[in-house]
Amino acid sequence: MIGSGDILTPLVMGFLLGGLYALIAFGLSMVFGVMKLINLAHGDLVVLVSYFAYAAMTLLGMDPIVSLVICIPVMFALGFVIQKYLMGRAFGISVEAPLIIAFGISLIIQNATQIMWTPLSRGLNTSYSLMSFNIGQLQFPLSYLLDFIAGIIVMVALREFLTRTYLGKAITVASQDRKAAQLMGINTNRIYGYTFAIAMVSAAIAGIFLGMTFPFTPTSGVSLLTIAFGTVIIGGLGSMLGTFLGGMILGMVQTMGAYFLGSAAQMLIVYIIVLVILAIRPQGLFGR
Amino acid sequence: MIVAIVVLALFPFIGVPRGWLLYGFLFFVYLAMANMWNLLAGYSGLISLCQPAFLGLAGYTMTIGTWVGLPWWVGLIGGAGIAALFALLISIPVFRLSGIYFAIGTLVVPEALRIIFYLWKPVGGEMHGAGAGYMIKGIGNVSMAEIYWCALIIGIGSIFLMRLILRSTLGLGLAAVRDNERAAASSGVEVFRLKLYTFVISAAVTGLAGGVFYLKQGYIEPSATFNVRWTMTLLLATVIGGIRTEEGPFLGTIVVVVLYFLLAKYAGYSFLNQGAILVAIMLLSPQGIVGVLRHSRFYRSLTQWISSR
Repeated sequence: MIGSGDILTPLVMGFLLGGLYALIAFGLSMVFGVMKLINLAHGDLVVLVSYFAYAAMTLLGMDPIVSLVICIPVMFALGFVIQKYLMGRAFGISVEAPLIIAFGISLIIQNATQIMWTPLSRGLNTSYSLMSFNIGQLQFPLSYLLDFIAGIIVMVALREFLTRTYLGKAITVASQDRKAAQLMGINTNRIYGYTFAIAMVSAAIAGIFLGMTFPFTPTSGVSLLTIAFGTVIIGGLGSMLGTFLGGMILGMVQTMGAYFLGSAAQMLIVYIIVLVILAIRPQGLFGR
Repeated sequence: MIVAIVVLALFPFIGVPRGWLLYGFLFFVYLAMANMWNLLAGYSGLISLCQPAFLGLAGYTMTIGTWVGLPWWVGLIGGAGIAALFALLISIPVFRLSGIYFAIGTLVVPEALRIIFYLWKPVGGEMHGAGAGYMIKGIGNVSMAEIYWCALIIGIGSIFLMRLILRSTLGLGLAAVRDNERAAASSGVEVFRLKLYTFVISAAVTGLAGGVFYLKQGYIEPSATFNVRWTMTLLLATVIGGIRTEEGPFLGTIVVVVLYFLLAKYAGYSFLNQGAILVAIMLLSPQGIVGVLRHSRFYRSLTQWISSR
């Protein structure tokens, strides 16, 4: 069956995969937008959640989506602690200090997960994650659809949170002008702590859906970071909708790359696209 | 200082244990790379995370060179040249970025190269390692002593190179840029060109050191070569010793090599500890060992005494 249907499959797959990429990228985008910090450990923190869910599944027999009940508070607390005790202090030291500390955290997570769960690749396989659904004659994995739905839910939730709640508005203000926010009586240090914590909540959700979609290893974090960064770069900073669109573009680039050049080259295409966009439009396709 | 170098150079003759040669070899390779990273991150404000790309490309150039019949030392020098050319090439996209964007842009480069070298099979040779590696041909007659001397020359050379650069107009320009980029640019310092020079120099020397490393290892394969662990080692050596200080990488590299051999038995824990040490040093003493030592008068007079020799 060579025809339009053939190329349609990777296109739809990439489109749906974009939801997962956006999920991974929201946290990175938020931390970057508010604190001007690129969290080099973001990918590893996402993988860490996949491992938590894996542990909950194998030890307690807990469904990955149900295990969010545990993972979200844990990651919220972890994010707050990282910001308060590590990053917050690092900002005062020098420009490169937070970057180097994030790099250190990334190595700690990579090797801790390797010691705990060995370097073998794992997956969160449930009864429904291996199912598939049909559009016309084409068949797609159900997990991709779940990724997409989760991506939309998190995007809408973050948007509403940032525009409607007091804390969300405070985060937005602190990202625009830190000094002015402080003068208005906003405790920016605490706001930064909450920002990192909320970014980690989105990372927790990303980790669960990542684990249901793809197998993961302790070193998956680096490629996830690149994907998240590519998504943010394509989408432009600060806008949740832009991040979502960026994720879909990147997802389609990747699946089309795999379709035309073979699956081994798909990540290469992603890396090259990221470099090209960085070179011609560092503020992102949808950024101002 | 000259005495120390002569003693180090005579190591293979006075019959020191083979292990010591290995420690020395690793020390000098890491020292050269750490010095070059310090030049970029410490002195030029370029937080480069693509050093594995330079050393890997140089290593591959040498390896492929031996397969087409070039002697290894031609490949070694050619490798440094290729690394420098590659630095020039990737400077086109990454030099449009500054600060943290630069760091991320460069982080992507080794990842991309790793996939390229997985896919590209330049010579239909003997496979080794993770399915895409090569043995380095015809180096059976190169003794450990010769490899050790190569590393020694590059390691010590990198120290002198750093002194030379920092005391030249290039170094003065870099200092001016670091203090205030805009003011330096308006006083006629060509910021872009200065940074490009340091980037290319650092790529070439890192490439040389990488080539010597693979000469010792005897084979090369993509996943260990274009690996973030290299970046980690250089970063750790520089940060532990003291970033933006001349003697920092020297002291830091000693610590890293000692750690490496102490913790070699516990591979996973070793990197775990390195991550923890990195975070702790950055928070407790951002200037590393040098930052602590500089408080003591004895250390200050010692460094003065050494540099006056």
